This record gives sequence, structure tokens and C-alpha cells, in this order.
Amino acid sequence: MTVAATTGGTAALRPRAPRFAVFARALPATAMFAAASLALAVGLLPVADPELVAAGLATAFLAGGVAGLVDRTPATRSGALVVPCAQFAAVALLCAGTGSVAVLFLLLGPVLALITAPGRRGVPVAVAGTAATLLLPGLLTSGAGLPVADSAALLLGPLAVGLGGLAVHDTSRRLARQAAVIERLETDRAGLLAQVRTRADELDVATRMLAARAQTMTSVIDAVTEQSIIGTDRDGVVRVWNPGAERMLGLPRTDVVRKRSIVEFHLAEELAEIAAEAGTEAGLAALVHAAQERGSDVRDWTYVAADGQRRTVAVAVTPRTDDRGVHAGWNFVGTDMTEARATERMKDQFVSLISHELRTPLSSILGYLELVMDPDSEPLTDEQRQYLTTVERNAQRLLRLVGDLLFTAQVEAGRFTLQPEDVDLAAVLRASEESVRVTAATAGVQVTVDVPDEALVVPGDAVRLGQACDNLLSNAVKFTPSGGRVELSLRAAWRLPDGEICEDEHPGAEPVARLAVRDTGMGIPAGEQGQMFTRFFRASTAQRNAVPGVGLGLSITKAITTAHGGTLDLESAEGEGTTFTITLPCSARHRDHPASLR
Amino acid sequence: MDDVLSAIPGPARPLDVPTPPRVLVADDEDDIRALVCLAVTRAGGAVVGAVADGTTALAAARSDLPDLAVLDVSMPGATGLEVCMALRGDPATAGIRVLLLSAGASPDDVARGLAAGADAYLAKPFQVAALVQRIRALTAGQLA
Repeated sequence: MTVAATTGGTAALRPRAPRFAVFARALPATAMFAAASLALAVGLLPVADPELVAAGLATAFLAGGVAGLVDRTPATRSGALVVPCAQFAAVALLCAGTGSVAVLFLLLGPVLALITAPGRRGVPVAVAGTAATLLLPGLLTSGAGLPVADSAALLLGPLAVGLGGLAVHDTSRRLARQAAVIERLETDRAGLLAQVRTRADELDVATRMLAARAQTMTSVIDAVTEQSIIGTDRDGVVRVWNPGAERMLGLPRTDVVRKRSIVEFHLAEELAEIAAEAGTEAGLAALVHAAQERGSDVRDWTYVAADGQRRTVAVAVTPRTDDRGVHAGWNFVGTDMTEARATERMKDQFVSLISHELRTPLSSILGYLELVMDPDSEPLTDEQRQYLTTVERNAQRLLRLVGDLLFTAQVEAGRFTLQPEDVDLAAVLRASEESVRVTAATAGVQVTVDVPDEALVVPGDAVRLGQACDNLLSNAVKFTPSGGRVELSLRAAWRLPDGEICEDEHPGAEPVARLAVRDTGMGIPAGEQGQMFTRFFRASTAQRNAVPGVGLGLSITKAITTAHGGTLDLESAEGEGTTFTITLPCSARHRDHPASLR
Repeated sequence: MDDVLSAIPGPARPLDVPTPPRVLVADDEDDIRALVCLAVTRAGGAVVGAVADGTTALAAARSDLPDLAVLDVSMPGATGLEVCMALRGDPATAGIRVLLLSAGASPDDVARGLAAGADAYLAKPFQVAALVQRIRALTAGQLA
């Protein structure tokens, strides 16, 4: 394509005239005239008419000088013809002046200059010049002693010059054109060569980058020794098998890659069971069915190692594509959960044991206390009743602690369920205040309740929400010194899409209930506020002031709030007090009729 | 347990009053078993058997055909749930009212108990007054 473009136009191929073209073409002729002068000087050429010889030489050298000037004028093309014509005249004068035919060799100079000049018009000028040169000596010497008087010579000379000139001219043109093409091709070749070198360099860099990347990926995959990374093709044949897989399944890479299927390391019964549930074929289809539908799948599978040992593995299954985005196979990243699952089972058993072994004796203690303190039973002295009341209070405390531990275990195990219903939070708050009233009065803490007259209903579990409210209120009373105040308040508000809470209705905002428990207690140090919802964490102020507790109440309250789709916020200043705020989404009836919140 | 039972005075029973409801009590904890027996007595019932394991409880229920069986869920031999299901599966004992007692207090525990065929479920620790009330409610037909 490049070559065709460069040879397609004549103008593009025409060689540009050199800067001193006319002078250069006149130079051989000038040199030949110089040689003729020398020959005349040494007597090799005769001198018949000194004036004509002198005129001829003068004309020849003048033409040589003019050639140098012509190159510097704009009319170079016309000037290029003037110089050879003058040289023809010089040859004619010398021929006439010497009367020697040998002088005619000087015709070669202007003839060559004309036929090698650009364009064809130099050829007829050369023919005419030659003819004139052959004819002119006879005229100058009045026909006496003509060196070339033969009419055949007069005819054949110009004819030979014309034909030769045309042949030379065409040959030189063709050569010039070919030279131009060659020059252009050379340029193109050099350009292409440079491009090839650049591409080769880029390819080299890209190859090294790919190799480095592949090496990085391989080293990362090989560095994973605690997780199995298994890659397969679309048929499940193993293609990638990392050291984690070697360790977990007891087979080296060389024994597995391209030789074994992922299915061989799974429990056949388990695959059959999943296949029956999913309605697929047992085997790879069962293994990847969920990932195929959802893009990825994580679940526990049983891996069977080379020695037959079974391991519970949490396997993340994802499809793999090639560089064109076409499905190429599957990736299976497995984490050995055998120990973790065993620990979970042990924890469940422990929780069950705690449930039975602690609650059962508490049943006896509380049951028999109830019988002893029954007004229908034998009357007790005031002192006995006081002691037994203390026993009962502590038994109830122990029971709450057991309940909290069990609840925490349930939350952690993800087995925490709610019994949803419409719950009037105002009633929940009033009930909480009632339950803490005696304790607060004993501690010298004033508790006030500020709830709207209308019911503020949220969807939730009344028992759990009561438990959350009880926790916050009993904490507030516990952490407030005698003479302090605890304020319980309930307000309707609106939650904007960005989570901000505002008191007025806004478009797009959702109605929420804000339950706040504010105390004037000892407060929580700023550095500890972020840990207050962590299990078993107790603020340093609680420990310094020997406030009883184990640090489960707030984590339970947080779990209950979160399970209801709400948030639990804390604001506190040490020595000034603390406010806990539960924000819960309102029930559908408030959403559908916002006026019910006003 | 017998000492405890004998220490609690039972209600006065004139000769013309109907026979008190017959109650079978099964719990592997001696103290709890005695407490339940006291509650049965306070509820106006008569303890026809107080046993410590599920197998014996099932045998006693089949032989004595009580009006009410108060069963602990966690018992050796057979759990209260298994005993309850066995009673419900036998036409001869299907009519026996069953009250389950359990340390499991979660909604799931209660649901499992009721699904096994129990008429009522009480979580431990329970108030004696609440147990008495529940026994009375379940034996109301016999007391009437």
C-alpha cells in the first residue's frame, strides 16, 4: 500500500532539480573546451583562422560562466537551453577556425547537457544545435575548406543525436524514476524497520510484565497454605491445585492436575442430596448449580481427603472466564471449618447444659422460696422475711444472668428469633418504669416518663423490646448517684434517606420512633464509648464505682435493636451523664397515615 | 420426697365430693419432682405416680391412665417430648392431658413441645402459683 502510494503520481516521482543543475551539466563541455584550448596551444589542433578560434573559445568559456549565473536566476529552465546553444556556437566557431573535424567531439558536451536535462525539449534543441554546428562552419568560411560539407553527414549527425538523445533521455528518466522509487522504498523500509523495533520492544516489555504478573499470581496462590484453591475446567477437571489443597486433601499437585475431577473429593451422598434438592444431576452440576444461578455460592461441603478423612469445608464457588470473557471453568476456594463447626457444636451443647443445669436448681430455689413466703404458709418473722427476700432477689439476679448468657449465645449462633407483632412502645416504657420504680426509689434516683398520649406502634417482639428498655433503664438507675435523675422519653420522628433524623415530615423520609433514656450519672469516658456494645466490656467508671454487672446488657440491647431494623446511639460526658437512644422504624399504619404520628 | 409430701396438708375432702383428678408427675430432679407434687396437691389433684425417667413415666401412664401427666422434657430413658408423642399415638392414652416442664424457654422450645402434642408448656423456673393455676385449668373437667 505504501509503495503504491509513493509511485502512483508522476509529479511525486519527478526528481527535483539539483541546486546547481545547469552549471553541473555545462561543466563537462567546459572541461572539453579547456582540453581543446590546450590542444590548440600545444599545436595538436591546427589554427586556420585565429579570430574564429578566439571567438569560439571566448563563447565557450562565457557559456560556462553564464551557466553558474543561470542557476541563481528564476528562469533556470530557459537559461538551461541558452548555455548549450552558446556551446554549439562555440563548437561551430572552433570548427570553422581550425578547419578540423576533430573539433566536433566537442559537440558531446552540449548534446549531453541537453538530452540529460529535465523534459524532452532538450532533444530537438540538441538536434537543431548539432545541425547548425555542422552547417555553420561552411557558412562562416564561405564554403571553402568545409570540414563537414557532406550532406549525408549533415543529415545523419543530427539524426543520430536526436535518436540517441531520446534514448538517453528516456533511460535517464526511467533511471531517475527508479532511483526516486528506491529512495522512497528505502525511507519506507527504514520507517517500517523502526516500527518493527518499537513493536518488538513493546512486546518484550508486555511479555515480561505478563510473566511477572503470572509469577505474582502463582506466588500468591502458592502462599495460601490454610485455604484450598482449586481451579477446574468446565468439566470439573482440576487445573489449579495450591499448597492449601495439597495440605487439606493430602495429594500433591502432580497427582491431581489434569488427572482428577473436583467431584472425586466430594462426598457422593452429599452431592446426591443437593442434586435432589436442586433438581440437577449428581456431580459437578450439583456442586456449581447455585453459583451458576447467583454468580457465586458459599456453603459447607464435605471434602474427602486421600486417606479417606472427611473435613467440613466452607467452599466459595465462582465461575471463571477466559480472556475473551467466555466461561472457562470454576474456582473453588475452601476454608477448613472442621474444628470451628465442632467448637460450635460444643458451644451449643454447653449452652444447653447451662440452660438445664443452672435453671433447674434455680427452679427449686425460687419454687421453695415461693412456698415459704406464701402468706398461707407459716408466718415468718420480719427478719426471716428480709433474709428470704434477699435470697429471692439474688436468685432472680442469677436467673437474669443465665438468661442473658443464653440470649447472647443465641445471638452469636444466629439462632435469635423474634415473635413479631405490633408493639406500643409507650406501654413498653411505662412497664419498664414500673419495674424499676422500687429500685430507683431505694437508690434515691428520680425517674420521669415522657411519652405521647397516642400509641406509637412499631413492628417487633414485645418481650425483647421490653428487655432492651429494661436494660437501658436499669443501667441508668445503677449508674446514677442518689439525688440524680433518669428521664425516659418517646418521640415520633422522621429518618431521611441519608440516615439523618429530623422532627418534621419530609418527602422520602420514613417515620421512626425515638426511645431515649437520659441520666445524670457518672458518664462514660470518651475513649471507651466505642466499646460499650462489646460483650463483657465494662466501663472504667463502672469498675471504679463498683457498679454490679457483667457487661452483657448493652450488647443484648444492641442485638435486639439491630434485629428490629433499628439503631442504638450513645451520647455521654464523664461526670455529666449519658443518653442512650433507640431508633426503630414505625409500623405500616404510621407509614400509611403519617398524621397518626402528630 | 415422701417427707415433703406428707408435710403439706392436703385440702379437706368430704366424702360427697368427686374424686380428685389423678396426676402423674415425671421429673429426674428430686426437688423439682417434689415441688410439682406439692403444686398438684395444692391444685386439688392426687399424685398417682412420681417417677424419675421417661420409660417409667410411659409405663405408669399406660397402667394408671391418669387425667394429667406433668412431664419434664429432659429426662433419662425417654424425653418428655417422646413420652408425650407415645401417649398421643396410643388410643388408650391419647386422652391424657399433658403439661410439659422444661428449662428450655425459647419460642422454638415451646413450639416443639406443643407440636409433640402437649396441652400446655411451662418453662423453668416457674412460679408455683402459675403451675397450680395451670394444673387446675387442665383438670377443670375432673374438678367440676
